Amino acid sequence: MEKRIRIEVLFPEIANLYGDLENIEYLRKSCPEIEVVETHLTEEPEFMRETPSLIYMGTLTENGQHLAVEKLSQYTDKLIEMINEGVHFLVTGNALEVFGGEIEDVDGSRDCGLKIFPTHAKRDMMNRFNSLYLGKFDGMDIVGYKSQFTHSWRDDDAEGGAFGSVFETKRGPGLNPDVMGEGVRKNNFMGTYVIGPLLVLNPPFTKWLLKEIGAGDVNLAFEKEAMEAYDARVKEYSDPNTGFYY
Amino acid sequence: MGKLRYFIALWAAKLSIVALKITRHNGTNFPGVLALKICPQFLKYSDKPEKIIAVTGTNGKTTVCNMLLDMLTMDGNKVLNNKMGSNINSGIASSLIYGSSIFGKCKYKMGVFEVDERSALRIYPYMKPDYMLITNLSRDSIMRNGHPEYIAGILTKYIPKTTKLILNADDLISSAISPENSRVYFGIEKMPGDIKECINLINDMQICPECHSRLEYEYLRYNHIGKAFCPKCGFKAPKYDYAGINVSLDDMKIEVRDKEGTGCYRLLNESVFNIYNVVSAVALLREMGYSHEKIEGFFEKLNIVGSRFDEEHVGDKTLYRLLAKEKNAFATSRVFDYISTLPGDKEIILMNSCQGDMKHWSENTCWLYDCDFEFLSGDDIKNIVLCGPRRLDHRLRLLLAGVPEERLSYAEKETDAPGKLKLFDNDNVFVLYGTDSIALGKKVADRVLDMMKKSAADGKGGEE
Repeated sequence: MEKRIRIEVLFPEIANLYGDLENIEYLRKSCPEIEVVETHLTEEPEFMRETPSLIYMGTLTENGQHLAVEKLSQYTDKLIEMINEGVHFLVTGNALEVFGGEIEDVDGSRDCGLKIFPTHAKRDMMNRFNSLYLGKFDGMDIVGYKSQFTHSWRDDDAEGGAFGSVFETKRGPGLNPDVMGEGVRKNNFMGTYVIGPLLVLNPPFTKWLLKEIGAGDVNLAFEKEAMEAYDARVKEYSDPNTGFYY
Repeated sequence: MGKLRYFIALWAAKLSIVALKITRHNGTNFPGVLALKICPQFLKYSDKPEKIIAVTGTNGKTTVCNMLLDMLTMDGNKVLNNKMGSNINSGIASSLIYGSSIFGKCKYKMGVFEVDERSALRIYPYMKPDYMLITNLSRDSIMRNGHPEYIAGILTKYIPKTTKLILNADDLISSAISPENSRVYFGIEKMPGDIKECINLINDMQICPECHSRLEYEYLRYNHIGKAFCPKCGFKAPKYDYAGINVSLDDMKIEVRDKEGTGCYRLLNESVFNIYNVVSAVALLREMGYSHEKIEGFFEKLNIVGSRFDEEHVGDKTLYRLLAKEKNAFATSRVFDYISTLPGDKEIILMNSCQGDMKHWSENTCWLYDCDFEFLSGDDIKNIVLCGPRRLDHRLRLLLAGVPEERLSYAEKETDAPGKLKLFDNDNVFVLYGTDSIALGKKVADRVLDMMKKSAADGKGGEE
């Protein structure tokens, strides 16, 4: 490992749905020298004292989203500063909405994110959207799952500046079903609706991420077995006969 | 017009029952599906039993429902139920069709229905249970159920205000459902083997519902099931109206104490989740007015349903057939934990690839990383046979859980998995199948059983 790596996991007591926390566990198993710091809802985030190599937040319940926004709202300026400075973030599932704008429910109720990115989300709790996902990242195939009550849309005229996509979609929905771009990317902030063990499922992407955060060229935990599962999944998802929506 | 449609639907469904009988397709949901197609408000117009008991919750509802059904039948009741059909609206409709006369009159005074949590909105507006037992709420299918907080929200919204709730005080998620309803709580007091810190990957009740500080537990069984309190604001879990006490696994007995006395009940199975099932059933029957003595008698005659738990001894070997619901990390973790606590060396055939998903798309495997495969890393588990389309995913998950590669075997097809068993002396073989693969699980288990019988007949233990 080239330098000391610290990963801050935000609110693991509530941002832990769908096996998301295995993403960080997989990094730790692949690179035991990595230091993982957990920040809980009642604590001041570690990033206020020391800038981590990577900040991670996983999928939450709707109430959990609300609590996360409530807690992080006092640190919005610092979060924007870190994103602009190129600090690495990996945010999975509906945690990406924490960093976006308004969340409008079909029942008329509204919640609001940190408004760091100019997006808005629409939520329908009686209609869960499920799909597989196949996309591209820097020439790599990305596979995964989506299972959510919401989709997001860009608000191009809102404040917050331009942002890109994390993945370019080949099959499945993007940030919403009408767009190919998946997720929210600005500098090294990556927020994706893809849920669960994204890094376990995508060893090439994981190796790229580890290099990005300064861990160097790392042999992943059970890399051979992870690659075999990955290759099989890429093949399966690339097969037009594989149904993509549940 | 509504009532006319109802009768057309009822008669069409009744005719379909005759057709199904002729074609030997008994026990399907088709009559209910047909009736709801013709009359979407079929449940509204259906005559229902005078007393209705609903059992819902993520895990244990089938077992509890079957126990209640058996016990109420033992008492001489003719009980309408949906045991042979599904637990969604079409299953309930099918039961009501079977249980009604040609003129729509319900022939049963009592109904016990297992109800899928997610189907609350399609059932409770039209059927008002007198009692509802909620076993627990935990993570289930990611695609269908999202997360337990979401399911609790649905139940709170749709459970009729007149329904009396029998709730698990050791589950802070389900015990908070429908706060305005009349309710009693059951739970199990401290018992041997309890812990204070969660060792499972899933823990959906980590923060205080009042102040959001970290919750602590006086005692914890698994995941978030235990007696919680908040050291910061003083929040406490509900008190038990029906307390399981003095659990004895040696005698397979538990006492249940309530304000009127204590009864001593036979345990059907030593797993904690089944002990909860017993306490919950006692609580419900006590609420219905049965004496401890009467319920004790029922329990003496009960058996657990074969498709959920079954064991068979052949020579020096034992075959266990266990339901380990695919895509349900919480339930499967309970099964893995249970296996890990049993004595002796073991082999496992893991048939957890979802058969249904294979036909339509590809299984969402996120649940593997919510599920405690770590329970299978003990030295007593000598061989795990991985099979089916997701075996590469299962292999990676087990390796990450600390299971050594040399303890894994592979078979492409489930039916080839028995051939990978070692069948050593005093072997305990577990065939784990999902709800989509009950028939396939039986086929595989039968093959294992044949091998065991052959081994016993040959007078040898098998490979070392």
